[in-house]
Amino acid sequence: MSTPTIFCLHALGSSRLEFEPLAERLGDDFEVVAFDLPGFGEANRAEGLSVDEMVDGVIRKIRRHGSTRFLLAGHSMGGKVATLVAARILDGSAGLFGLTGVVLLAASPPSPEPMSDESRAQMLGWAATGRIDHDAARTFVDDNVGAPLGAAADERALADVQRSRAEAWTAWFERGSREDRSDEVGTLDVPAVILAGGADGPLGEDGQRRLNLPVYGRADVVVLEGAGHLLPLERPDEVAAAVRTLWREHAGRGPEVPVDVGRVIASGRTNTRTRRILARRALADRPSYEPRALTPAQLETLRAVAARVVPQTGEPIDLAARVDSQLHRGHSDGWRNVALPPDPEAYRLALTALAGFGDLSEHARDETLTAIVDGSWTPPAGTLTADQMTLWFEDCRVDLSRTWLAHPATMARVGFDGFANGGDVQRIQGFHLLAADTREGWEPLPHPTHDHDTQEAAR
Amino acid sequence: MRLDGMRTYSDDEIVDAVVIGTGAGGAPVLATLAERGLRVVALEAGPNFDPHEFTPDENQAVDINWMEERLTDGANPTAFGANNSGRGVGGSTLHWGAFTPRPDPRDLKLHSDSGKGVDWPIEHAELIPYIERVEHFVGIAGPESYPWDPSRKYLMPPPARNASSDMMMRGCEALGIRATDAPAALTTVDRHQEHAGLRPACSSCGSCHQGCRSGAKVSMDTTYLPLAVAHGAEIRPDSMVTGIELDGQGRVSAVVYLRDGVEHRQRCAALFLCAGGVETPRLLLHTGLANSSGQVGRNYMAHGATQVWGTFETEMRSHRGYPSSIITEDTLRPDDADFAGGYLLQSLGVVPLTLATTMVRGGGLWGRELVGAMDGYRYLAGVGMNGECLPSDDNVLTLSDEKDAYGIPKARVAFSSGENEEAMDRHAIRTMTAIVEAAGATSTRVLARTAHTIGTARMGDSADSAVVDADGRSFDVPNLWIADNSVFPSAVVANPALAIMALGLRSAEKFLAA
Repeated sequence: MSTPTIFCLHALGSSRLEFEPLAERLGDDFEVVAFDLPGFGEANRAEGLSVDEMVDGVIRKIRRHGSTRFLLAGHSMGGKVATLVAARILDGSAGLFGLTGVVLLAASPPSPEPMSDESRAQMLGWAATGRIDHDAARTFVDDNVGAPLGAAADERALADVQRSRAEAWTAWFERGSREDRSDEVGTLDVPAVILAGGADGPLGEDGQRRLNLPVYGRADVVVLEGAGHLLPLERPDEVAAAVRTLWREHAGRGPEVPVDVGRVIASGRTNTRTRRILARRALADRPSYEPRALTPAQLETLRAVAARVVPQTGEPIDLAARVDSQLHRGHSDGWRNVALPPDPEAYRLALTALAGFGDLSEHARDETLTAIVDGSWTPPAGTLTADQMTLWFEDCRVDLSRTWLAHPATMARVGFDGFANGGDVQRIQGFHLLAADTREGWEPLPHPTHDHDTQEAAR
Repeated sequence: MRLDGMRTYSDDEIVDAVVIGTGAGGAPVLATLAERGLRVVALEAGPNFDPHEFTPDENQAVDINWMEERLTDGANPTAFGANNSGRGVGGSTLHWGAFTPRPDPRDLKLHSDSGKGVDWPIEHAELIPYIERVEHFVGIAGPESYPWDPSRKYLMPPPARNASSDMMMRGCEALGIRATDAPAALTTVDRHQEHAGLRPACSSCGSCHQGCRSGAKVSMDTTYLPLAVAHGAEIRPDSMVTGIELDGQGRVSAVVYLRDGVEHRQRCAALFLCAGGVETPRLLLHTGLANSSGQVGRNYMAHGATQVWGTFETEMRSHRGYPSSIITEDTLRPDDADFAGGYLLQSLGVVPLTLATTMVRGGGLWGRELVGAMDGYRYLAGVGMNGECLPSDDNVLTLSDEKDAYGIPKARVAFSSGENEEAMDRHAIRTMTAIVEAAGATSTRVLARTAHTIGTARMGDSADSAVVDADGRSFDVPNLWIADNSVFPSAVVANPALAIMALGLRSAEKFLAA
């Protein structure tokens, strides 16, 4: 497994330095990469200050970095940027691949940030002279912490506020924070954790639940009691723990797409729609997926069947959950044998017939499936007939194997790179070397499985 | 395709003709009538696509397929969906394989020659000029010299060969079977298509079946439909026909269709039904029209399309390149045949989900065997057949009790291979296995499947035994014409699209002359 990267986007008035405590705590298992956003930290510029320009800049930096397996973290203002970057990765337009999860730290939402006119005016006033002085910085830091920071962190926070470009400061309060980008973001079905300071203001728990949680369909909210707004400085231990939990239980699950394959998906050889499809399909399954077409017991049985139909080694794809989701969405392959009831009903009846399948020995499971194939397995009354079981199992095998193969990690495993046969141009790139044992320079090398049994079968 | 700025007609205007379906049948009809100045409207059930939005992703590419559920029956139930039916402006030519052999003269005289099947009511010699016009207009690439028809000329050099092509050429040469580059409906040099713009040379991307993004492959939305629109035809996408109305004289007076959930009624002086081998008979059975012969829905045919895959010691990676670039017609009438008719063979490239589906359905695989077979994907190359299918009384399309989202009964299609198909399949498997082995395969795997939906509204000389006459005109409803693969009285060995386009031109001209 490659080391995942976590790209960190800081808050207004801060800099990449605010993530140093986090980097110290995560550095053994993550590559922590923090950027200075324009006008802050060492990015002492008065251009590129709009939200869109910040988003473009972050996308360029991630592309230059080259990671294909990463989390995106955003603090306050950086949270809005992170959400917009995530949206553009997942819709394919960023030309990036490998977003696995999002960490929001007291994050500004894609909709207008809740802020009183009074505090907006106060903070704009600090930058009116073109420079933010020590007193203003002092007030800003004090207003944004739940309890005083340690001396080193406090000094860092004060210094970062004062070296912020007044234009960047003003741009955020006058424009960036007010932009409503919620329509273009929609909802993002990416693993996420939303951290809120229990003593924060409008971007505290209520604000996060009201404004960010609806955007992230599968986020957990973690409230850090007593913390203010400067979470990376105030509570680096808890933030690090939340990142590890997100990775271990959600974002890092499932098979890994090899780096060279990820880079080809990100590249101009893959068109935007295909990149969008693959980005979403590569996201980890929900560990607590609740079935929508099947009952929980039927889903468990289908998982047990899937493990025999498509035996996976390493981190598995939850094929059963994905098939359930397709059944719920009314996905059809265009036909059905007249002897079978409609697909969801056939699945429900067949899996009811197979109740307890998961408790059988591996050998007994395969015997059962073999008997289903040849029509000699007798299902319980009130479910399907033996012949219907045979027909259903053929459909079920197709659904499971297609779902397995559609994942980019499986495409890498079997050596398929045809998803990258042309980008968003009329003269698509295609293939020029077509003969046996030829491979173009851009093509990923084979990533065969190390599973000896299936290698034997392949031969 | 671009539809902005096209001429439009109101539902109340009695247009000269309505064309149902914009695929290989409807598009040439629409263009021919529009070119003559007729006011014509095409109703297409599916959407109008921007080809740049097509994706090679197999799961999502089914947007261009007819995925409304059909019910299958019989010993060899047809797998519909992505395999054989299109939906959208361009119809099945959006996803077809562009493999364009011509019908063989012997196939149109199958009954005279073998006593099996039926003869076509059209002479081969009469069909060929239409085929040549189609080939010239859409642009077909092919070999400089075609071994089975030396008089034939193709406009463009053949598509580039891939590892499967080299494999099949090697195997055939070792066995003394003649094989050559296949005729393919795609550009191999940049081509300016009248009214459609530039169609760049094919880039060998391998995604023909997922929709051609560059316009290199012939599809109706890059050939006949732009011509039709340029001459004043209107194409209405997302328009599902649900009914056909007759006047007091028993002539079609209007077509009822649903668009955005609203029912419309387009008045017309004539109707061309070009919805394909399933939707055409379904609509006729649903409306109860044109069926005094009782032949609507009967004689459903599917080409035998069994494949033999070999595992090689070299990486074949046959998703690269045009998938079926080699052909042999040596098997059209084998000397040792114990069946009527014959088959042709093509080299095969394939994409993984399609292959896995065939491995499950046609090869019975699951578990470690399936995973192992897919782990060997990049070493696979194959040969596939396209074989004659005889019409049979047992193979019939009827209406089911279940209704679709439009309230129309779903089609129920029964298909079982007969003795002739099975004998041919055995012969083809022997030939294909020999080719693949002679090319160096270390192991082989046979995957059974069928392709194409043919028959169900056959043409013939008699109102007692056919739905339409040799021109495509209904015996029962004088201003109703059918131009698609449903009129084929026998399957014909060649893949159907070229003949469908030719019949479309011919029926339209017969209509104009009538």
